[in-house]
Amino acid sequence: MSGPLIELDRVSRTYTTPAGTIKAVDDVSLSLGESETICIVGESGCGKTTTGRMLAGLLRPSSGRLLFEGADVWEKKGKDLARFRRAVQLVHQDPYASLNPTRTIAQTLAPPLAKHKKAHGRAARAAMISLLERVGLTPPADFLLKYPHQLSGGQRQRVSIARALTVDPRVIVADEAVSMVDVSIRISLLDLLHNLATEFHVTTVLITHDLAVARYFGRKGRIAVMYLGRVVELADTESLVSDPAHPYSTALIAAIPEADPTITRTKKRVPLKGAEVPSLLNLPPGCVFHPRCPLSEPGLCDVVVPILGNLPGGRSVACHVALRERQPAAELLGVR
Amino acid sequence: MPVLSVRDLSIDYRTRRGPVHAVRDVTFDLEQGETLAVIGESGSGKTTLAVGLIRLSPRSARVTKGEIRYDDGKRAFDVLSLDTERLRRFRWADCAMVFQAALSAFNPVITIWEQFLDTGRAHGMGDKHKVHDRTRELLDLVHLDPNRVLRAYPHELSGGMRQRVLIAMALLLDPRIIILDEPTTALDILTQRAIIDLLRELRGKLGFATIFISHDLSIAAELADRMLTMYAGRIVERATVEDLFYRPRHPYSVGLMRAVPRVSGALGSVASIPGSPPDLIRLPRGCSYYPRCPFHVDECLQQDPPLLRVDTPDHEAACIRWETVAAALGSDAEAPVAEKLA
Repeated sequence: MSGPLIELDRVSRTYTTPAGTIKAVDDVSLSLGESETICIVGESGCGKTTTGRMLAGLLRPSSGRLLFEGADVWEKKGKDLARFRRAVQLVHQDPYASLNPTRTIAQTLAPPLAKHKKAHGRAARAAMISLLERVGLTPPADFLLKYPHQLSGGQRQRVSIARALTVDPRVIVADEAVSMVDVSIRISLLDLLHNLATEFHVTTVLITHDLAVARYFGRKGRIAVMYLGRVVELADTESLVSDPAHPYSTALIAAIPEADPTITRTKKRVPLKGAEVPSLLNLPPGCVFHPRCPLSEPGLCDVVVPILGNLPGGRSVACHVALRERQPAAELLGVR
Repeated sequence: MPVLSVRDLSIDYRTRRGPVHAVRDVTFDLEQGETLAVIGESGSGKTTLAVGLIRLSPRSARVTKGEIRYDDGKRAFDVLSLDTERLRRFRWADCAMVFQAALSAFNPVITIWEQFLDTGRAHGMGDKHKVHDRTRELLDLVHLDPNRVLRAYPHELSGGMRQRVLIAMALLLDPRIIILDEPTTALDILTQRAIIDLLRELRGKLGFATIFISHDLSIAAELADRMLTMYAGRIVERATVEDLFYRPRHPYSVGLMRAVPRVSGALGSVASIPGSPPDLIRLPRGCSYYPRCPFHVDECLQQDPPLLRVDTPDHEAACIRWETVAAALGSDAEAPVAEKLA
């Protein structure tokens, strides 16, 4: 099969608040193939969670389409829709809130197995044991009768992943899935998700504010950087972190503190013009990054909204200046 | 001469199952003007230690032994023997604490100016005009516009602005020590960067000593002069920031360093620490890290090892296998652990 498995086609999502209408996501397109990994990265309010919820089919776009195997999901009905629901699973951020505290692990995993796989009794137990093994909760029999409060944050997150796997999903959307577990065990959870992607051909979308996590998880995939509702850059992970093309990604990478005293204390900074992120209620005209951007050109960047265009090396960037100069912003700003 | 000397500090929490030994025999010095970072997983005892230093621990906590000696050259005393009134003065005038800039760190129904005024009054600043002048000066210092911020309510400020306000408030009485508990957690990257730069600038201008509590190694890499690694309530390694990042000698420090990926440079061999921290009510026999440690030998079960001098006089690790750890890392070059183990 060659076409994309799941695709956001020019989706936007607006919310009405007492203070006015905000566009949380504006004209975002993403297309994911089978067993691909992609990380959506951005700061709070950039629209990454809204994008993830639209991808998972939990939130209807205000405009644009969600396509699964080429067909519009929001046109689907009945069995067809149920099949999509099974195929795409969400793993939440907070493993303390996403598991029912009054149910044992067995009681959490059994209902979806019964409903979707018609596995009951001994077959269900065998299926649960194999799922718990798959997510690294061993010996599995010890976990079946436990309640969530008897597990650590990392173990709970593994249970959440096991629950997502009960229905053999083809896409997993993990929203900040490791940000609430201890630093010392994040990597093992990311490895678990990564192995699912490679061994079982699951397409994985990791939504995170942590670029280092995105770099590690997405090392064989792509990263999409979002800013104020738009995707400003989409590229292979290594080229994005080593040679970012958008001035915003460049500033982010230059500013990020690193767990290495020499590197972090000698990083070249990108001087931004303003520190405050504009309000979603009152977005700047043209490129939303232009008021802070050191490359911004009057008459262009404050007037025309840039759309994603291609730079050499298979990367896309929504920046007038980088596209015109045919060079990534990191080069133009001299921080390579 | 150290501004704070902690000796054999032990803090328990009372629970129904028995005492939780959250901090065990902690000994360290904080020198004038230096920045000390305390790292460790949640449950390692670092927050208990931090709030214990200013005796803000919850009621279920009890200091079972030890000494916390403060000495700024003019006055010297044991913090643990202060009465309520003197403790209150110590808490803001000598040693201030900055918490995470959550809304819960503020009184939600009064303005920022009133928060400053309350704090000043509670700590003996009777003159309203003096508090006002000092507040404006401090807000300038943390790069906030006093005219805008003083009249605002906490919810009207962004996370980064709230963190700046908390830092300014901590400086109200010009303390010699500032304790920061996860000062940049939950802030966006560019805001984090601004707060780190601000702390560096203030430290240079005002010369206070800092104790940092963070699970975020990158903040320690940015700001620390020296570091302590805590595990199961004990200090298991003490070193300069370079030694701890590039030449750690305790397997737990090695594990922590290796668990954090970087954005720049090679990824190296990143890996999590297997298992989870021990039950602090029933600690395992011998070294508490034994069950998770890839370097363990039978001898490690004989006793919880004391801090041993390694490499240099400024570097200690509580591990009898530290030479094997050093050999596994190979070179002493200034390269991260994940790269050396790749």
